[in-house]
Amino acid sequence: MNIGGILINKEIPTALLEKAQETAKKLGGEKEKILFIVVGDLTADSHYGTSLLAVTERCAFSLDGTGALLFHTVHTDTEDAKVRRMYGNARLVVTQKDGKVVELMRFTYTVASLCDMAADYILAIASGEDPERAYAAVEEAYGKLMLYCPKCGRRLLHPGADCINCESKDKTLGKLVKYLVPELPNLALCVVLSLITTALTLIPPTATSTLVDDVLPNRDLAGLYRIVAILLGSYILRCIIGIVRSYRLRVSGDHVVYALRNDVFAKAQRLSMRFYDKTSTGSVINRISGDTSTIQSFMLRITQEVVVEFFTLVGIVVIMFAMNYKLALLTLIPIPFVVVGTKIFGKKIKPFYRRIWRKWVAVTSVLTDSLPGIRVIKAFSAEERSGESFKDYNTAWLAVDKKSARISTAFPTIVNFFVLCGSLLIWGIGGKWVVSGDGSLSVGTLVAFISYASMFYTPVNFFANLNDSYQSALSSAERVLDILDAEDEPDLGKGNCPEIRGKIEFKNVNFSFDRTKMTLSDINLTIEPGDVVGIVGTTGSGKSTLVNLLMRFYDGYDGDILVDGVNIRDIDLSYYRSQIGYVQQESMMFRDTVFNNIAFSKPDASVEEVFHAAEVANAHEFIARLPDGYDAMLGERGVGLSGGEKQRLSIARTVLMNPRMLIFDEATASVDSETESQIQGAIEALISGRTTIMIAHRLSTLRKANKIVVLDKGKILEMGTPEELMAAKGKYYKLIQIQTMAEKAQASREEEGFAE
Amino acid sequence: MTRNYVGGDGVRFTSVGTCLVDMEIYGGETLRNLEPHRLFPVSGGDKYITLLDEDGIERAIIRDLDTLLPDSREVIKTALEEYYLIPKITAVTRTDEKHGIKWWVETDRGAYNFQIRMNNDIKVLYDGRVLIRDINDNRYEIPDYEKLDNRSKRVLGTQI
Repeated sequence: MNIGGILINKEIPTALLEKAQETAKKLGGEKEKILFIVVGDLTADSHYGTSLLAVTERCAFSLDGTGALLFHTVHTDTEDAKVRRMYGNARLVVTQKDGKVVELMRFTYTVASLCDMAADYILAIASGEDPERAYAAVEEAYGKLMLYCPKCGRRLLHPGADCINCESKDKTLGKLVKYLVPELPNLALCVVLSLITTALTLIPPTATSTLVDDVLPNRDLAGLYRIVAILLGSYILRCIIGIVRSYRLRVSGDHVVYALRNDVFAKAQRLSMRFYDKTSTGSVINRISGDTSTIQSFMLRITQEVVVEFFTLVGIVVIMFAMNYKLALLTLIPIPFVVVGTKIFGKKIKPFYRRIWRKWVAVTSVLTDSLPGIRVIKAFSAEERSGESFKDYNTAWLAVDKKSARISTAFPTIVNFFVLCGSLLIWGIGGKWVVSGDGSLSVGTLVAFISYASMFYTPVNFFANLNDSYQSALSSAERVLDILDAEDEPDLGKGNCPEIRGKIEFKNVNFSFDRTKMTLSDINLTIEPGDVVGIVGTTGSGKSTLVNLLMRFYDGYDGDILVDGVNIRDIDLSYYRSQIGYVQQESMMFRDTVFNNIAFSKPDASVEEVFHAAEVANAHEFIARLPDGYDAMLGERGVGLSGGEKQRLSIARTVLMNPRMLIFDEATASVDSETESQIQGAIEALISGRTTIMIAHRLSTLRKANKIVVLDKGKILEMGTPEELMAAKGKYYKLIQIQTMAEKAQASREEEGFAE
Repeated sequence: MTRNYVGGDGVRFTSVGTCLVDMEIYGGETLRNLEPHRLFPVSGGDKYITLLDEDGIERAIIRDLDTLLPDSREVIKTALEEYYLIPKITAVTRTDEKHGIKWWVETDRGAYNFQIRMNNDIKVLYDGRVLIRDINDNRYEIPDYEKLDNRSKRVLGTQI
């Protein structure tokens, strides 16, 4: 927000703002104006409380919650300014030219990005940059606050956009009703059939009453046969209706779960990488399989049984009151106990469903981790350990499930107890009226009443236990909606498909996966069309993150990435990615044929196109040697092929898509020297004329690169042609020296027969 | 590379600023401006503290703070307390699930409120601790869920 020309991230008391303005004048003179204020949330001793960082054109200062001056620095005396991130908190530290270090403010990560911006501003002014340009960056940072939902803090698709998260939670189960809509005709038919069944179930007690009171005492054989025939007819009808109804219901249920699973899976494909960074695969699998089934069965319960049980309840109550209103009132006595019990039960059981689910996710996560890694487990003889680990998680699940079982099994039994007590009341008091012989109640009516009472308690029991299913379904629905309502990968440029030549520019790019550590800082890089750029650096220097941003796996970075002058955020996402060939270190093969695995990048490719791609990737020959050739089925992770073979299939896939830009992320890191040279040959055939980015540990693989970028701790340390960097004798030079020495040592060992 | 484990009376630490210490090893060598970090911030507490220099390179490891001389132990403890801000939640006064999850809490650092994303950011550990990460990546801890007062448990009810 902007208060009186001052940018500020949060409202503060007017008195504090006035104190800040007074302080600015004291420190910088009457004309000194505060440009922006960052309201912090920690005191100097790390307790929660208001603090304030104010920045003017000349100085920066911090105040505590009372307005007392804590520290101040003058921009022109500043040597360095940076946010020092710790754990759960950070400090804005300014180093002055005289070597003095000033800790301007301490704060939680909540305001860390604003303080980053403040540090950048101070440094920009200190280094003599144009104040207006520096201030523009400040305005942009405050503008970005609009990018976060004020209610839940999640990042919005664009400033001021509706927050998908906030609009969704209110109508959790209601949002899933749309899956029932296509099934409505079928469900309506089932309801009608159910009502007929219900009406038929009400016949036997009345028939019994007539038998006991009229037919049997009068020895009326014709009447007896008539009633038996009526009962038989009703039973046959119930049987037929039951078969039809069950089948229809089953089919409707299958359709619901089918559509729901399809949607959840399709949505899971479109979710951003950030979602997968924070959500285990096991939890996603659980939502697609288990939770959708829970929701399906609850929806069918709601649409069918609730309707039927409700009408049964109403029908029985009407009949009972018509038969004997006094006994009918006695029947209702247990109801208040059941209602109160149900409420208490609902509250008690709800947390358990979440806990049970969380424990179950942990169990499935062990499964999803350990089964694909079965080779590693066997190689380290860790079968027992793995089993123990699974057992631990399973035991934790068992413990919670047992606890919940105590509640969920006791409740129906207690409800049943109240119901039985209700029956006893009818037997006791109704029986007394029959025995007293005052004519107020006949034996037949009592017997019929007992039958109706037991039928009455069935729906009562049903509604009491419905809460259990409701809580379970609600819990499942929340988790399914977590996926269905999660933000898609942003695609604001949908439909914008400019021709791509391959010029790539990174402009002032900063990125952090979470707010604890900047992964990339101040990246400025221009790659011309057709350039082959090698990115080198130690592990964790940000190489892969750089290409992840270029691939648009993460969009939440500061600064801009342009391709041929167009911001990549403004290009149609699917089209954009189709222009980039991405070969990773770990090549993923799908459970399909070799042909389909190559054609994955271009499903309509002709056979000969696939052959050509395999040829370019040096893969055709080994495929031809496979007994099943291109029809060879690959296992979950390409079982049966060597790492180098899988990598060449992966390159063939990329060749087939004919991209304008290529990214090789450690493509030859996990193969031997001979395979590497084969893959290298495939790569060299592919990169000709295409903008190529190659990340490599082995610098020898970068021999085709005409430009090298050296990354270190998320920053560009050196950049230039290989010759320039060798001449500069910097980090690249050192890396080359180290690798050359290592290679020489290896060669010498091999020569002397000490190595293979 | 061999790890340089230090401890006992063979080493002395002095504070030289927020989170920074100097390490003087018996025999004369002094390493300046080291920052102690926990290698096991969640499970390990005061065991295995790494000492990083200004370039983030590890210069030594303290296996167990309890083995240090009392003054040195205090210096390292203070530095760690400065570095790690994991407020301990003593009570939960209110929660709101309408828009994400929001908690209003009392902590050993004062009252605060924060927002959590669904499900994933609340972790219940075997020892009864509950670790919470908010949408800004700030951390909080309930030292023992069972020892929370009944009102807090009632308020949290469905979330833990």
